[in-house]
Amino acid sequence: MPYLPTSQAYLEQSALLLEAYPNGTRITTKYNFPSSQKPKPTEESTTPTAPIASLTIKTYNPTSGICLKYRTNKAAEVGRLITSLGKLAGGANVAALGLGNAAAAPVAQAGGDVEMTDAPEEGTGSAPAAKTEGNKGGKGKKKGGKGKR
Amino acid sequence: MAPHLGHEEFFSSLSDLLSKTSQKARGSVFLTQKPLIDSTASLENVSSSSRPSILIRATDGNTNAPNPKNNKVGKKTVSKVKLSTIVAPEDLEAFYTRYAEVCKAGMTGLKKRDRKKGKAKAKGGAKAAKA
Repeated sequence: MPYLPTSQAYLEQSALLLEAYPNGTRITTKYNFPSSQKPKPTEESTTPTAPIASLTIKTYNPTSGICLKYRTNKAAEVGRLITSLGKLAGGANVAALGLGNAAAAPVAQAGGDVEMTDAPEEGTGSAPAAKTEGNKGGKGKKKGGKGKR
Repeated sequence: MAPHLGHEEFFSSLSDLLSKTSQKARGSVFLTQKPLIDSTASLENVSSSSRPSILIRATDGNTNAPNPKNNKVGKKTVSKVKLSTIVAPEDLEAFYTRYAEVCKAGMTGLKKRDRKKGKAKAKGGAKAAKA
């Protein structure tokens, strides 16, 4: 499973996973610095660039093989994330996490996901359509869009 | 494996580990949490009764630890740092409050909320508006 786009999506999905498999599901937090160092001494005069660490959180269940990940490099998120992990450890469900759209209960989860993945596709589809419209003098958006696809 | 530490000990060791890693600006720290299922107790008991304790582990994932394949013990080998502690379900909230604090304080290598950047952006925006 790839990285989830937002911490909120990660926490929601993790809560669902923990709910489904309360035993044996583990959460790993990795705080790491990039391993590959580019040759520093040559460019040290420009800026003393300290490598930026990143924080990766992974929820993994070996039985189902489900793995959820989220990565960030913002220090501001650490406190909130760890506190949320505590809530997850305590067996909090999606609603108890106190997330923004907690009202969108587990049932609505699948629908929300589909919308999220669909939205950018539509955006990219309509953008070229609009361009062609300008060129051709407006022959109907939908046709242009279909032709492009 | 070293025995599980008390919470205080765990936190002090963890903040030490985190700050060392941040200072070196290389390497990793792995933190793991999982429910501790007592294999001796019957499964039904565990699942039906109250929530299990949480096992918390922290390690630096040091791969310089002696390789079992080559028997010679090098001088450089630094043993892997391993910390663990057990949190009872009723202590979870208090523990995680501390835990979050320790992590926030220790993970200094992350991007800070940069005020200068915000100012620069505002300036850039103003310039753009003028142009």
